[in-house]
Amino acid sequence: MKYNRTELGCGIGFSTVIDEKFKTNTLSVRFITKLSADKAAENAIAIGVVSTSGGKYKTLAQLNEKLSSLYGASCSSSASKRGDIQILGVGGSWLDNRFAFDGEDVTGEMLDVLCGCIFSPNTKDGAFDNESFMITRKDVLDRIESEINNKRGYAYSRATEVAFRGEAAENSCYGKKANAEAVTAESALKAYNELLRTAQIEIFYIAPTENEAVEKRLREEFSAVEREVKSYEFTNYSPAKESVERANEELDVNQSKMVMCFKSDSDDTKALKMLSVIFGETPTSKLFMNVREKLSLCYYCASRIVASKGALFVDSGVEKANIEKAEAEILRQLEEIKNGNITDDEMSGALLAVDNSLTGVGDTPSSYTSWYFERFFNGDKVTPVEQSELYRAVTKERIVEAAKSLTLDSIYLMLNKEVSE
Amino acid sequence: MEKNIITSPLTGDSCIHVKHSSGLDIYICEMKGFSSVEALFGTKYGSVNTMFRMREDKDYTVVPEGIAHFLEHKLFENEDCDVFELYAKTGASANAYTSFDKTCYLFSCTKNYTDSLRILLDFVQKPFFTQETVDKEQGIIGQEIKMTNDNPGWRLFFNLLRGMYHNHPVKIDIAGTVESIAQIDAELLYKCYNTFYNLNNMVLSIAGNISADEVLAICDECLKPCEDKGLETVFPDEPDTVVQAEIREKQPLGTPLFNIGYKCVPCEGRARLEKSMAASVAAGLISDASSDMYQKLLKAELINSTFGMEIFCGDGYFATIFSGESDAPEKVRDELIAEIRRIKSEGINDKDFQRIKKSTYGVLVRELNNVEAVANLMINSHMEGTGPYEAIEVLSSLTKDDVLGFIADELCEDKLVMSVVEGEV
Repeated sequence: MKYNRTELGCGIGFSTVIDEKFKTNTLSVRFITKLSADKAAENAIAIGVVSTSGGKYKTLAQLNEKLSSLYGASCSSSASKRGDIQILGVGGSWLDNRFAFDGEDVTGEMLDVLCGCIFSPNTKDGAFDNESFMITRKDVLDRIESEINNKRGYAYSRATEVAFRGEAAENSCYGKKANAEAVTAESALKAYNELLRTAQIEIFYIAPTENEAVEKRLREEFSAVEREVKSYEFTNYSPAKESVERANEELDVNQSKMVMCFKSDSDDTKALKMLSVIFGETPTSKLFMNVREKLSLCYYCASRIVASKGALFVDSGVEKANIEKAEAEILRQLEEIKNGNITDDEMSGALLAVDNSLTGVGDTPSSYTSWYFERFFNGDKVTPVEQSELYRAVTKERIVEAAKSLTLDSIYLMLNKEVSE
Repeated sequence: MEKNIITSPLTGDSCIHVKHSSGLDIYICEMKGFSSVEALFGTKYGSVNTMFRMREDKDYTVVPEGIAHFLEHKLFENEDCDVFELYAKTGASANAYTSFDKTCYLFSCTKNYTDSLRILLDFVQKPFFTQETVDKEQGIIGQEIKMTNDNPGWRLFFNLLRGMYHNHPVKIDIAGTVESIAQIDAELLYKCYNTFYNLNNMVLSIAGNISADEVLAICDECLKPCEDKGLETVFPDEPDTVVQAEIREKQPLGTPLFNIGYKCVPCEGRARLEKSMAASVAAGLISDASSDMYQKLLKAELINSTFGMEIFCGDGYFATIFSGESDAPEKVRDELIAEIRRIKSEGINDKDFQRIKKSTYGVLVRELNNVEAVANLMINSHMEGTGPYEAIEVLSSLTKDDVLGFIADELCEDKLVMSVVEGEV
């Protein structure tokens, strides 16, 4: 594997990973901007429109026809968030030329397709092409409305709203329905041009062989863009509320959900991660073994860290009648860690689990992208092996200190309508 | 024990198949340059296998719905400890699943794969059930059933199957019902275990950063030879007709969800692969993102980018399903019917046919790019009665007439069922 990162222009990073085992090429362009209530939907729609047409392909139909003729290549967009930051992605993936049985230059053609979408979007009179815009806006609106279809994800999302109220991270990466409805083809194009001009941009190209044409083409295209980059803090610790906030919602569901948020002011991120693994990230964690297996209080009960906000969430699927018992047991298990009740087996199991996931970096193109994107946010250059060593150096004492730094901030409950009191 | 090397002439990929002396079929794919390992140990036993007998049995045994899934849960407990505790010592991430036609136990890891493989082979061959642990599991699975009932996509799909199938057990929920799992006891679990967890009915599939010789040495050490007792599973007679053309349900939901499915004639082995490939290309021609119908529906705001299609098939069932989100699913169904009628009368454009074939080929080759996908491909194809690379071969020889024939014979309006889950008023 060969990794290289270079700058294509002001605030534009270009990382290449050449790994001969892959059969595909992947190009991913990521715009990094501040997450905000009024811009989130506009940005999400804008990046969506960009991936539906552009360059020679003036309609989604034309673009899709081209992609399927290129052995089912993809051109897609994404919106996500990382704490207070919104990440808008556009890119594609395609078969390497050696598998093209008709001898096409798939990479060359896909470079044209993607650059067409990104640098020559389908516009008319200062607005995105209306048809492409309407299709994408409906898509984003449906996505916002469909969040409730996945009850676990919906509960977590509501819990983050409560936990991070008043901070950028309270927002969804797709924004709210009313904001999305207010976006126009004109305002979306403005938002896209603003992203091109001011967002920090990180580009990742993962391929089996080197191809200088990719960097050359992107450098040329970006040279025509006037850049005035805005930079943001990527880590903003969220303060704990003075008293625990409880937010309840009633829905017609069979299983209730409880999501607890704890806040920490500790900067020992490695210890916080190890704490979360031991607490609730594996099937041998304290939460799984006790709350689910031993006491049968929840069907699932797991923890996760949001490092960019200094927060730890515990989400669970629980019978209404067991909510109080489950909450008490989750807190009791955390207390166990605070009291230093961590076995050697739990320590070594957590390290092995973390190491297992780090060693797997590089087995898929997306794992390379995630790894190097995280390096950008953290401003470090550690390798997975070095990262593993940093976890190995975490002592029980540091985990205990990390646990002691946690304060219960808020609890979101999704309750079954029929049995709620 | 003969090592049979299977190679794809089109991509050059290869894997090893061994029929082990214990009766187990083993597939091994050494993948150079990858760090991870994915292993699946599976039995051809899923939620549809509710009626069976062995060669020496006179009568068929009928078991409660959801028992294959229940057995999967229980196998994770052995006499001394929970299996997850053993995996915690190797660092592997372990899991299991039960589908309609198989139960698989799996792990993925990047280190210590030989130890994890020993754990996998050992615990699956060593059942330990007591009435006490069975009673406790009924509570946990009861919660799982409740949770899946809150999943509108799950309800949507099973409503579709209930609309399609009169008798075939594919229509029952994989986890069963709170009532059906209450009938399960330790004795019944042992009976199902001893029937279906015979190595002659099982497959080991392992891919990634491994050595075939190491894997086979561990198999020699851990596998307990099994006598092939002539397992026979049967399904009730299933009429060609559907049960109900439309089923609707209400749930807390955003945009309504729909599944529109055509009930097709089931088949087995290579014939099933050929038919599913024809169905896949047919569905692509009718409704992929570059098709006229897709564009028309999209512009009319009748679908969004979640629209897609799926070929769903197994022992005794075969369906071609179109799915998505829509405020007016009945209009989507009408457009689909109209487009299929048009293709039946006007035929298929050769350029479009070649393009969809290329696109399907791309999907199949991409699958070989990923350790997890390769391990799944090997076990799934074996259980289907085909080889890992046969799909690419079948695709390359697929003709326009095969696809037209499928559309004409199988996508019939009287075999269509629509399932909708919509928001509560």
